[in-house]
Amino acid sequence: MIRIEHLAKSFTAPSGGKKFGLVRAKLRTVQAVRDVNLHAPDGQITGLLGPNGAGKTTTLRMLAGLIPADAGRMRVDEIDVGARPREALARMGVLSDARGLYPRLTARENIVYYGRLQGMARDQANARAEVLAEMFEMRALLDRRTDGFSQGERMKTALARALVHNPANIILDEPTNGLDVLATRALRESLRWLRTPAGGAKCIVFSTHIMQEVERLCDSVVVVAHGRTVATGTVPELLAQTGEEDFEEAFVKLAFVEEQSPQGVVA
Amino acid sequence: MTRLRTILTIYRKEIVDALRDRRTLLTVLATSVLMGPLVLLAISGLVATLEANAEQREVVVAGIERAPTLVNFFERQTYTVKPAPADYEQQLRKAKLADAVVVVPTDFEAALVRGDAPIVEVVSDSANQRSQASAGRVARLLSGFSRERATLTLALRGVSPDAVEPVRLEERDLASTQTRATQITGMLPFFVLMAVLTGALNAALDTTAGERERGSLEPLLMNPAERWVLVLGKWGAVASVGMLIAVLACFSFLPGQWLLRSDTLAAMFQYGVREVMLFLVVLLPFAAAASALLMAVAIRCKTFKEAQASTTVVMLAASLLPLINVFSLGEESPWYLWVPALAQNVLMTHVLKGEAFDAAQLAAPMLVCAVLAAGGVWFVSRTLRSAAVR
Repeated sequence: MIRIEHLAKSFTAPSGGKKFGLVRAKLRTVQAVRDVNLHAPDGQITGLLGPNGAGKTTTLRMLAGLIPADAGRMRVDEIDVGARPREALARMGVLSDARGLYPRLTARENIVYYGRLQGMARDQANARAEVLAEMFEMRALLDRRTDGFSQGERMKTALARALVHNPANIILDEPTNGLDVLATRALRESLRWLRTPAGGAKCIVFSTHIMQEVERLCDSVVVVAHGRTVATGTVPELLAQTGEEDFEEAFVKLAFVEEQSPQGVVA
Repeated sequence: MTRLRTILTIYRKEIVDALRDRRTLLTVLATSVLMGPLVLLAISGLVATLEANAEQREVVVAGIERAPTLVNFFERQTYTVKPAPADYEQQLRKAKLADAVVVVPTDFEAALVRGDAPIVEVVSDSANQRSQASAGRVARLLSGFSRERATLTLALRGVSPDAVEPVRLEERDLASTQTRATQITGMLPFFVLMAVLTGALNAALDTTAGERERGSLEPLLMNPAERWVLVLGKWGAVASVGMLIAVLACFSFLPGQWLLRSDTLAAMFQYGVREVMLFLVVLLPFAAAASALLMAVAIRCKTFKEAQASTTVVMLAASLLPLINVFSLGEESPWYLWVPALAQNVLMTHVLKGEAFDAAQLAAPMLVCAVLAAGGVWFVSRTLRSAAVR
């Protein structure tokens, strides 16, 4: 279970202008995340939906302890991420935006390496790699070096690597980026299975900017725009709230209406 | 306990990764490990030609026909007399002629009989090193001739030859054979130092900037291992690669030595297992420190290429600092031992000279290396997180 309350984060960035002059560029504050709220229960797939630059990746990076939050609280299975980040990480499997593999290692070695870093024994990690390879249909890839892997093959390996320690919470940052239809379908099937009691009743948080993904997969949706949670609910609930038939229309209403009225639609 | 296991996990992975990078590894081995012995061979070839030159008992004389007495003396000293070419001055300047030329004046014999002390010139070009070397030899030969003439004249008049030589001159050279050899083998420590640096460079870049470029640093930090644990494992692996190259480079001079063509050099260049061990005592801490330093420079770079450009500064410093020892012409200041790369160069030169160094001399460079290594590891751990997300 993952709970995020009133999360905020701002960055300082040079504001351009006299960049090459002797005058030092003035620092500009970018409010990446203003007020993100999310509740993702176990056994459900929660979609984090938002346009590009809405603050999805920043939110997930904060959840993974990569950057400290300015304000707000994040709890993973009641463990506070700010106070005990390592314990929280042990309970999470994160497929981040960056999913680089080690090209000179085989897929199996890549997966087992992360298992070892999560504190698993070698045999245990190896057995787990086999199980995951079965689940993602990548058995033939397991002992090949990842050097020549296709996008889909890389993605499968990275996902297996993130799930090697069988975490109760799975966080996926735009996992379908660069995947073809078949690979996307396979991934969707795997996630559905992981949600069931047989698959471990995982708590799955899934960030995307693609409507269809959300419609097909998510039990509940959190819509984020301009660093703020603007709506929460199931797909039918959000449709009802906006009075739209089409989810895309509903999303546009929810995510972009705020540009006119800063107060936004209250969830 | 779990931390130690994590360090070992990372260490093992990085070593496997580095060893699988065959092409880079082979290049490093070829350039750093083979370079030293090849240079040694080249030097030995040079020394061998110089020796061959010295052994040739030849005198080049301009105007032989004017000085039969002199030619007779040269031949009695088992020298072969060769006539000088007409344009000997030109040839000496262009370094075509390797011997100094003895120029005999026209009325040499007559002046000699009269006791007028004819002037004999020894012509050489100080920019032409080989002619310079033979000039000294020829000058000694000529003064031998003078002495013989003087002794004969005095003996005819019943005077003891000792009367004209009240003081006898004898030279004594304090340098041991090994000390003399370091004039030639002095560049060896430099090659070994560069080998260690180039060996560690690739691994250092791959584990830092390379990891950023691949996008694998961010997922790596999403494991519940502490950052300093990650860095310690990585640093250990990089340092091990550097140390491996150090060991290979040091041992590579052993077979290189057997190939020496010059007997004199082979006799002077005493490099055995003891010297290898002393070299390693100096080099292994250096490898550890250099690895940490290279990693600290590289972690700030987004790409491998950028990191290569940044680490050039480190490489340049490490290759220029030992020159201080060369330019100071053998006079060492105590602060040398506090400068990395320079200190290692000084100590290895001591080893080659056959001199021992004590623990006190080793303490300063060891301390500097420890501080550099700790500082580097600390800096990388501190920068790791911000490096991952940017």
